Amino acid sequence: MSDPLVVFENVVKRFGEFVAVEKMNLDIQQGEFLALMGPSGCGKTTTLRMLAGLEQPSEGEIRLAGQVMNDVKPHERDTPLVWQSLALFPFLNARENVEFGLKMRGLDAASRKAKALNWLDRLGLADFAERPVDQLSGGQRQRVALARALVTEPQILLLDEPLSALDAHLVIRMQGELTKLQRELGITFVYVTHSQSEAFAMADRVVIMGDGVIAQTGAAREIYRAPANRFVAEFVGRNNILAGKVTSQVKTAATIETPAGKFKVNIPKARSFSRGDRLSFAISADLVHLSDKNPRGDNVVPCTLISEEFVGSVITLFLESADGTEFKAQIQERELADIDLKSGSTLYLSWPAASAHVLED
Amino acid sequence: MTIDPKRRFDPYALTWRMPIIVWQVLFFIGPLVFMIAMTFFLVKNYRMHEAFEMKNWIKMLGRGFFWDSYFLTLGLATLSTLCATIIAFPAAYALSFKVSANIRRWAIFFLIIPFFTSYLVRTFSWYVILAESGPINAMLAYIGLGPYTMLNTKFGTMVGYMTLTLPLVVILQTVSLASIDRSLIEAAHNLGCGRVRTVFTVIVPLAKTGLIIAAVFCFILSFGDFVAPYYLGGSKPPTLPIMIIDTTKSGQQWPRAAVVAVMMMVTLFTVAFAAIMVAYRKKT
Amino acid sequence: MMDSERAIKWFLRGYVVCLFVFVFLPIIASMVFSFNSQRFPTVPLGTFTWHWYETIWQDPDVWDAIKTSIIVSSCTSVLATFIGFCTAYTDYRYSFRFKGAFLALALLPPTIPLIIMALAMLAWFARIGASGEIWSVIIAHTVLTAPFAMAVIRLRLNQIDPNLESAAWNLGASEWTAMREIILPFAKPAIVSALCLTAAVSFDEFAVAWFVSGLNKTVPVIILEIVTGNIDPQVNAIGTFVFITSMTLVIIAQILIMTREKKDAPA
Repeated sequence: MSDPLVVFENVVKRFGEFVAVEKMNLDIQQGEFLALMGPSGCGKTTTLRMLAGLEQPSEGEIRLAGQVMNDVKPHERDTPLVWQSLALFPFLNARENVEFGLKMRGLDAASRKAKALNWLDRLGLADFAERPVDQLSGGQRQRVALARALVTEPQILLLDEPLSALDAHLVIRMQGELTKLQRELGITFVYVTHSQSEAFAMADRVVIMGDGVIAQTGAAREIYRAPANRFVAEFVGRNNILAGKVTSQVKTAATIETPAGKFKVNIPKARSFSRGDRLSFAISADLVHLSDKNPRGDNVVPCTLISEEFVGSVITLFLESADGTEFKAQIQERELADIDLKSGSTLYLSWPAASAHVLED
Repeated sequence: MTIDPKRRFDPYALTWRMPIIVWQVLFFIGPLVFMIAMTFFLVKNYRMHEAFEMKNWIKMLGRGFFWDSYFLTLGLATLSTLCATIIAFPAAYALSFKVSANIRRWAIFFLIIPFFTSYLVRTFSWYVILAESGPINAMLAYIGLGPYTMLNTKFGTMVGYMTLTLPLVVILQTVSLASIDRSLIEAAHNLGCGRVRTVFTVIVPLAKTGLIIAAVFCFILSFGDFVAPYYLGGSKPPTLPIMIIDTTKSGQQWPRAAVVAVMMMVTLFTVAFAAIMVAYRKKT
Repeated sequence: MMDSERAIKWFLRGYVVCLFVFVFLPIIASMVFSFNSQRFPTVPLGTFTWHWYETIWQDPDVWDAIKTSIIVSSCTSVLATFIGFCTAYTDYRYSFRFKGAFLALALLPPTIPLIIMALAMLAWFARIGASGEIWSVIIAHTVLTAPFAMAVIRLRLNQIDPNLESAAWNLGASEWTAMREIILPFAKPAIVSALCLTAAVSFDEFAVAWFVSGLNKTVPVIILEIVTGNIDPQVNAIGTFVFITSMTLVIIAQILIMTREKKDAPA
């Protein structure tokens, strides 16, 4: 693999007492679509702003294409950003907005115009070039913002929740277009979002951040199936998280005693536990089996139904075990046909030991 | 939004920060501080000498006529503040609750106009209107009344003060009343609180801060105005602003005028500070 | 119940009308008197005349005053708007220690009575050897009007997308270029409004001008001197002229504020 395009080395960012980003180490590869995901206030936007030079790291080093960027001013970098608010210049029309970056680079008027029109055309805005930006629709404004950032042909494009202002159906369409654009251009996209569906749908690699720290880095599937720790398990998708004491361990199979009962899990190779150690594990809600008869065997929890959430073909059931632990189960609608939910009788949740995923602390 | 907290010298930031600092220090703080210093200077043979003597203070504050003027000015400004607050309130109430937002905007626009017309010309206009042989007395004569003497009275002074302050007080009161949450008033009506009681138990307390600030502005303007008491009030005895003018313009007694000015500023700061404390005090 | 409701409503409306009559009576009366032949106007009015306008037209002092007023108010408006813009931008963009004191320093002048400012300025200019010059008035008026310019421009900067300036840097504009290309065009309507408003305030101010102007009398100072002398309807003629000048400036400013609100509304 070639050298990474961007390197964060022990980067710390403090605002007064508040630590926004703590000891961050991250490599971003050439041509990669990387998503930075996390709840609001987790430091993802600060990370992006540091990359654009709008904030300066308090400690550590950021390198872009091998060059240390700490003291390079924002306007001396080529790291265009697509803003959450879009930040289009309201007194310029679509073409003039796109031309702005070229004008700053001292290009002559004719080639500026040609390039800008070319990009507007490419994004399907050829007919709207001379429109004031406040007369464009949300989706069109979005494309103007994209064209404005891409017209200088940068190596890297930064996107800060760019789709958050769009209607749901437009979001899906723009996701497809962004992925396609990134493939065609072959440049690096760094995409900040709090939306799991956006990150998982588009990114080659997802970085999950929480409280200024990288919680997990990996491909979407990897993060979804094997969340590294409790934070990721809670943030990503619907996981049932259980914690308890190890009561016995035979090779990689361990038994854990939790308030909701005793469960068997497979211990990953790299880890070892002794009796009495605390351990937590997650079972994805879609890997849980539900039945109205006790299936017998390991990993069975008797529960009562609290509520259900119906979204198309999938139903999410919220259940509670005798000790009050809450469980979630995602079941295909047709699988529920022969289970009686109404009567209020006891339901049995079960899962194979292999579905339980041990979390780091 | 600072780019670099470490960089101490930022020519760009200083370019925007320095003009006001330099200008105000040279031409606002400078004059005021010099004026305070001047109260200790001496005047000999119509020339001012820098010194540090208490003579001006003793001379001014030790005389009855200064205190006559002081309490007259204080009394007039207080009366003006009360009048303006009471006269403005029904209008502000009507503009806040009884008309559409559009009419309210136009009303405020029209109330701003007087600020850009010469206060002197308006006062002179009142001088003519209120004169013994002026239009008002002429009209009253048709129905067999008058003539009344309105110039060179407290009434004349108040007309002048109202000309100066009323538009501002109405604007400030309207803005603060209009920002009251309507549902609170409806709730009061709903709970059987009568119209007048609602005004005094719900609206006035809610708009207290705005009403007090309007009153403070009215007090400052009236306290510092020399035109109304001079041209419409007859200036006998003179108010403090008139005293400043007389002392400055005749006899070159700038230091004594400065004593009057400093006394005025101290009074204004005390009143404004006390009023703002009341305005922002949390209800216990 | 319904009747008392309506009675209150009509009473309040009538009250508001009376209040507006009180506020506008002196302005309108002054205009009427300026075309009235009587030296001591009363009812019934005298005949229509241009006489008072002719007298001021032929009065070289008035012409000098108008010239001085135009110079003072135009220089004041440029200076005050420049200083007001710098201050408004600083407040919009930066946070720093002692910012509260900084803003207090910037916004305090209108709370000091003009007569006190007049005395302080008079003494200060005499001390630094600058009394009675035309630019003493300009300097004093700039102090008095800069806060108004700052307020108008600051309100406009409030409406800016806070990322707009960063977006310009991000696309390769230095801070100075972003100021020229983004902030100034955005603030332009407010800057023109501020120019008009500060010019109008300066054009009307008499207390400070009277104290510091020396022989360079402005129009309001001339009015003050005529008024102090005796009843002379020339004042009404000059007053009407001043009123029309100021109102033109204010209406231009207001139109600019209104149109920009309309334009920004859908965005």
